[in-house]
Amino acid sequence: MTTRVLLCQRDELTPGSLKKVPNAEVGDICVYNLEGQYYATADLCTHATASLAEGDLEDGLITCPVHWGQFDVRTGEAVTFPCEKHLRTYQIIVTDKEVFADVAKEAEEALAADLA
Amino acid sequence: MTLPNEQLVSLEETRAAEAFLLREARLLDNECWEDWLATLSEAVHYWMPGIENRRREDKLGTYSAEHMALFDDGLRDLKRRVNRFNQPSAWAENPPTRNVHLISNIEVFAGDVEGEYRVHSCFVNIRSRGLDEHYQLAGRREDVLRLEAEGLKLLKRKILIPNAMLLCKNINTFL
Amino acid sequence: MDNNLIKLKPIEASPALPNLDKLCDMEAGRMSGKIFWDGDIYEQELEKIFARCWLFVAHESQIPKAGDYIATTMGEDEVLVVRQKDASIKVLINACPHRGNKVCFAEAGNARGFICNYHGWAFGTDGALRGMHESGVYEDSAFDKSQHGLREARVDSYKGLVFATFAADAPSLAEYLGPMAWYLDVILDNDEGGTEFAGGCIRSTIECNWKIAAENFVGDILHAGWTHDSAARAMLGGAVAQVSDFPESWSVNWNGHGYEFARDLVGNAAVLGESAINKYLHLQAPKAAERLGEFRSRMLGAVSSFTLFPNFSFLPGQNTMRVWQPRGPNKIELYTWVIVNKNAPQDVKDKWRRGAMMTFSPTGVFEMDDGENWEYCTKTSRGKVTRYQDLYVGLGMNTRLADTDLPGNVFKGQLNEANSRAFYQYWKDLLKAPSWADVPDRNGQLR
Repeated sequence: MTTRVLLCQRDELTPGSLKKVPNAEVGDICVYNLEGQYYATADLCTHATASLAEGDLEDGLITCPVHWGQFDVRTGEAVTFPCEKHLRTYQIIVTDKEVFADVAKEAEEALAADLA
Repeated sequence: MTLPNEQLVSLEETRAAEAFLLREARLLDNECWEDWLATLSEAVHYWMPGIENRRREDKLGTYSAEHMALFDDGLRDLKRRVNRFNQPSAWAENPPTRNVHLISNIEVFAGDVEGEYRVHSCFVNIRSRGLDEHYQLAGRREDVLRLEAEGLKLLKRKILIPNAMLLCKNINTFL
Repeated sequence: MDNNLIKLKPIEASPALPNLDKLCDMEAGRMSGKIFWDGDIYEQELEKIFARCWLFVAHESQIPKAGDYIATTMGEDEVLVVRQKDASIKVLINACPHRGNKVCFAEAGNARGFICNYHGWAFGTDGALRGMHESGVYEDSAFDKSQHGLREARVDSYKGLVFATFAADAPSLAEYLGPMAWYLDVILDNDEGGTEFAGGCIRSTIECNWKIAAENFVGDILHAGWTHDSAARAMLGGAVAQVSDFPESWSVNWNGHGYEFARDLVGNAAVLGESAINKYLHLQAPKAAERLGEFRSRMLGAVSSFTLFPNFSFLPGQNTMRVWQPRGPNKIELYTWVIVNKNAPQDVKDKWRRGAMMTFSPTGVFEMDDGENWEYCTKTSRGKVTRYQDLYVGLGMNTRLADTDLPGNVFKGQLNEANSRAFYQYWKDLLKAPSWADVPDRNGQLR
């Protein structure tokens, strides 16, 4: 079984924008375009029920729309109260036209940050 | 928050600045308005900004020079205020308001230029009117005193009270 | 009217108090001090006046950007006035629908939303409940977030001034202002750039009944020559102008609102003692004449004052706008702002900000004598016998001008208590009316 999930077309998200991709298997995914570089994390805030895709993306940080906690979308690190539990990240695979996530793998930045 | 470098001055200078502030309080308590005006430099800026109840992360802060104030006066304005006190028709001053100005926490530092002193102090002002009116204001002041031809004069005063709403009908004194 | 409001629960209307006619008889031009002291009357005022009328809550310039908010009160109800992403404005009750705690403790700022400190209920700037701390535990209770947002008031604005009402059955703001809007334009629309508030708000408390302050601005220039003699001499070196010497002046009212005015262009402004302001008004008058006509162009900074019923007042010329917030029968919180033309030169705006402080603020040389008067007009009513004695409100009875083109109920001269009578008549009519539909129309019949 493949762990590769289609997130969006390469030209679908402009830099600084994000979108929610429904996924019944691993939970909804949020995909972000940071100045041309794509990242993906779980869409559900680790603090309370909230879709991060409804939040504001600034300087690589996603601000949860509910209690304004923040995560670094590259590493999943919880950086601002009340978020303390880090966010699940997914490795991005970019092809000619499409952006995929490998839901079996964390992002390389997350692995490098070694948050666990 | 950190405070700027502060340089102490001589004991005599410190004592002169303290005496200036304590005498000023006595002049105000005794309604010696003309003598009080004479303690002010021609170039005085007497400022008491309105205090705003904003969140810590709000860059506008607790007060700002462009916002509304309780005093934002030069000498002309302060003379006008004294002029009202001196009118027989200043109805709300007769019978008089009785004042006590308590001054404390005096710290005297060298100013930006020779002959100027940066002086910090705290005040408690208690006013009573009629039989039962009692108003208390406390705050911090940051003054610049300048040695002029006739002695020390008040060049700048910034008055900060903790209150974002005055719990009284007016401020019919100087602080 | 908005249809996405979470409906406010209506308050069960209290029966009208007995004897209001004895306490307030404007046909006879008399009332009693009991209306300034009585706790039962005050409770009815909160219900039938402050929960019902259009109340001033903000100037649009105070909240220019999405997420900008200011906190204020409507009567004793705490509200937030918030700029929305679509540039509209919402007025939300500043109380969490869970345990009622305040959700915003700052007086102004910019926010992503409002989060209650108690249980972490989090609201968007539109008031919608977006989530709760420990949100998972609410699921078993069939909790519906859409039913638990911050409660909204109706909002409308007139040329920069934002008003709100809690009453679903209130007339539109335009109807509420009626012909008084024509007079408001003197301040709000004398320049193509419109107006703005200076930054900040000065707040103070006065131990007086709110009606005494509101009435002072609705049409009592009579007090100025006597009460403010000391301030006028201090600022100008001479007495206040004798209003009775003015060749023509008017008192105009409508549904309890009142404007009393002369056409001397700079009479009020002159007490600021700032020649730059007088000069600005002289230069502005011809421009104002193009927009408003010659008649109103002479009112810009003239000897005049205005109250919009119930508690929003201003002084043209000194350019101070204020709300007398009721805090019990014998206390108000006074919120003071300064209004200026957006296109005025910065140094003129600064002079107005400082001039209003110097004259009409808690440190203002004029207002000092007002506060004292208002407190003791209220406090003498503590006397049980004194409280029931007649107070005279009969000046200018039967001086209505029939043959005039001016809008509203027009009376001869500013030294006239016609606007005060109209104010108290409307006050009484509202206290007696079970709903807005029962408020009688007395325009054209007042004396």
